[in-house]
Amino acid sequence: MSGHETYLLDRTRTAASHTLEVYRASGGYQTIERVLKQPITPLEIIDEMKASGLRGRGGAGFPTGLKWSFMPDRATDQRPRYMAVNADESEPGTCKDRVLMEEDPHGLLEGCLIAAWAMGLEGVYIYIRGEYLECHRRMQGALDEARAAGLVGSDILGSGFSCEINVHPGAGAYICGEETGLMESLEGKRGPPRPKPPFPAGFGLWGNPTTVNNVESIFNVPFIIERGAEWFKNIGVDTSPGNFLCGISGHVEKPGVYELPLGLSAKTIVEEFAGGVWQGRQLKAWIPGGSSTGFVAGSLIDTPMDHNSIKAIGSMFGTGAMVILDETACIVEASLVLARFYEHESCGQCSQCREGTQWLTQILARLESGAGTLEDVDMLEHIAGGMTPGKTICALSDAAAIPLQVALSHFRGEFEAHAGAGCCPVTDQSKVPVTDQSEVKAQP
Amino acid sequence: MTIITVNGREVEADPARPLIDACHDNGAHVPHYCYHRGLSPVGSCRICQVVVSQGDMPPRVVAACRTPVAKGMVVNTEAEAAHGARKECLEFILKNHPLDCPICDKAGECSLQDNAYAEGQSECRSVEPRRELAKRKSLGDVIVLDQERCILCSRCVRFMEEVPQTPQLAIVGRGTHSRVETWQDQPLSGNYQGNLSDVCPVGALTLKDFRFQARVWNLRKSASTCPECSRGCSVTVEVLRDGPVKRIRPRHNEAVNGYWMCDEGRLGFHEREQRPRLAAALLAGASGLETASASRVIEVCADLISAAERPLLLASPFITDEEAELLKQLSASCGARAAVVIRDTESADADTILRTGDPSPNRRGLTEAGLEALSPAAAAAALGEADCALLLGERSAELVGFEALCALPVKLRLVLLDSYAPEGEIPALNACLGIPDWTERPGTWTNIDGHKGQLLPARPAPNGTRPLTATLRVLASILAESGTPTAADIAEEATR
Repeated sequence: MSGHETYLLDRTRTAASHTLEVYRASGGYQTIERVLKQPITPLEIIDEMKASGLRGRGGAGFPTGLKWSFMPDRATDQRPRYMAVNADESEPGTCKDRVLMEEDPHGLLEGCLIAAWAMGLEGVYIYIRGEYLECHRRMQGALDEARAAGLVGSDILGSGFSCEINVHPGAGAYICGEETGLMESLEGKRGPPRPKPPFPAGFGLWGNPTTVNNVESIFNVPFIIERGAEWFKNIGVDTSPGNFLCGISGHVEKPGVYELPLGLSAKTIVEEFAGGVWQGRQLKAWIPGGSSTGFVAGSLIDTPMDHNSIKAIGSMFGTGAMVILDETACIVEASLVLARFYEHESCGQCSQCREGTQWLTQILARLESGAGTLEDVDMLEHIAGGMTPGKTICALSDAAAIPLQVALSHFRGEFEAHAGAGCCPVTDQSKVPVTDQSEVKAQP
Repeated sequence: MTIITVNGREVEADPARPLIDACHDNGAHVPHYCYHRGLSPVGSCRICQVVVSQGDMPPRVVAACRTPVAKGMVVNTEAEAAHGARKECLEFILKNHPLDCPICDKAGECSLQDNAYAEGQSECRSVEPRRELAKRKSLGDVIVLDQERCILCSRCVRFMEEVPQTPQLAIVGRGTHSRVETWQDQPLSGNYQGNLSDVCPVGALTLKDFRFQARVWNLRKSASTCPECSRGCSVTVEVLRDGPVKRIRPRHNEAVNGYWMCDEGRLGFHEREQRPRLAAALLAGASGLETASASRVIEVCADLISAAERPLLLASPFITDEEAELLKQLSASCGARAAVVIRDTESADADTILRTGDPSPNRRGLTEAGLEALSPAAAAAALGEADCALLLGERSAELVGFEALCALPVKLRLVLLDSYAPEGEIPALNACLGIPDWTERPGTWTNIDGHKGQLLPARPAPNGTRPLTATLRVLASILAESGTPTAADIAEEATR
């Protein structure tokens, strides 16, 4: 399949696409101008967003228009209100927002301005992952340009509407991409997530109404307002309309970020866009939408990539970041790599997550080394069960445990083959059996 | 108030408080580590899981400390799912806990230990090495931190932020590398550090003062009132086998001190415990003060007062409301001037939390009883004007001052009823009799706000002391009859 309608990445193919000049040449900032001058009322924008059916692209797939409508009524609640754009893209596999921020920062800013008008925001904070230095540079550059052009700040385009936009670099913690952790971090504190309720729409940044949206979600806004909800709904599938950015990585010939309509089968994506599994090998497993969604068996590669279809196979659409593993990959080793990530990134406030992520890592390391036992496999399942679902303040515990549960449900045999094997039976790189750890005495 | 159902019983619950309070207030056991009623809830330890159902929603397991009370909520703290979730959570909390209960000071009053015995599994499934962190890290003069025992509940961090409002502790590091620390290992400061060991649900923060002093199950605990200032914080006095006071801890009293007390109050007992007690009845004889019977001392005392023209009854501000009442009766029966020694309030010792800076715990009770208040200097002057004086109450000699007492004319007939022995020989002293201190007698102190604080005997008074109330009663009855008492009268009074 090719020749599908694209819009998200169209401008990025132009040279110097990150500059105001090039952005304006392609019709940039005309939507916000029309919104402010016509004007299109905030209510109309929120209704249009609701009608478009856009589902948030940050992982949970929550309808963006509905989220916006949760902001309290200005008539009864005069507190200042904010939006935080979640650009703390740190989930292993996910690399889509980076392209937008580096190549089309003004597109994101225009989306922010429309959102700010729709929700009557005093300020917008774009919270960028600490390691994304180039994103930060480009976003800051674009913001400076836009401010100089009267597009950001007070009395935008002479409309009387004012909104401040700030770009804020994170400090390198995955947990600060959790919406309430992000708010803590923006407030200048450590970023352990806050318990909910209260929800951000009622008690967010500095205790004020706040909405937190993903970069790609906001990036979609000018297109939906410009071209209409009907246009948007004609792309993708009914339950998940629009295009999405699919960051595909792992064992494929052409890894990268592709703009694709939702509902396209994962097999088509791998074979027609990513050039197929590399080196002519067989597909073993794939992650549908970032590390938190887990390893799904290769036999399910025909599944359409949209929220409901992926949910139906026991995983999640997540951020649409596919990771492909070929037949030579060891699922236990891959699970260990992910478990290490979550152990490292757990903020440590909830008992299950703090201790559970470490425990999973320790057991997986033992299994991968070939020193584990069949009981260890059962333990993995049991410990993961103790960490999910919804037993902790935020979803990091779930994100650590669910992929393992998914992997166990699809590849239990491979986990069990590691027990007592003396080495990894899949990669078998060392060929040297490790010391039998079962001799090690239990701690008193 | 909102009506909810807790374990099958309809109860009233405060909608402003989290669900866990409604459970606790209605006799349901819900374990908790990060939650503390005196601090803001964070919901991080996750042990307080209960099953809640509401309306048409299916029952779900929630953390009771972060769940608001809502009308019609049905809570089951004993559901299998609740027990299962708590047991699961406990295993995670114990994963890196050193399980060094046999050498832990908290053992016996540790909610982690109690809960592990009650709900935990006896077998440990983790074979991995446990976290190795600082085992005895000094956090200043008051507190020692054991980072390995810490379960990262953050109560200590929140206490410092919310109560004395001097944030000095923080959780640093992430995940299993998290630990409680002070900024650049600086020692803690402030006058409320001792509370950290109370809020710590495990043995991570312990009092240097109490470390290895006693097993807590050997301590006898009695409700009492702190004598250090006129706030009169409700406390528990903990005594080891009827002997020395080992620890004083705050006792929850919303009207006075909430859950807290200052370090001065907590640790002040040491200074008094070390003082030599006056545990005898002594009478002036040919070779100075000689041992006599208590009855004889009281007899002599009554004789001296009835023979005097200008008798003075001078009390310390540590006497109770009941003792003050008897003092007034005695004063009425013999026409003696009755006064109490009151030191000035030191505003430098006051703070905005609990400490009043007023060192007289029962100032309000005694002034409301109508006793004349005298500064130590005025008290010394009043003693100089009297021809017979009864100096009574715990620390009364100290308050007037040893030097001032020594300077009194020898013709003054001075009798001392005190818990502590004077620092040396006082020429004017004719007789003295030991009395129980504040940990050994019952009574009431009225605090600065008029709240009545109870004293209860935490241990037996030393042999050779006699309750002040009994002595005052006998004296009053003798002097009221204005006749010479018989030995039988005194014996009868003494047994009351």
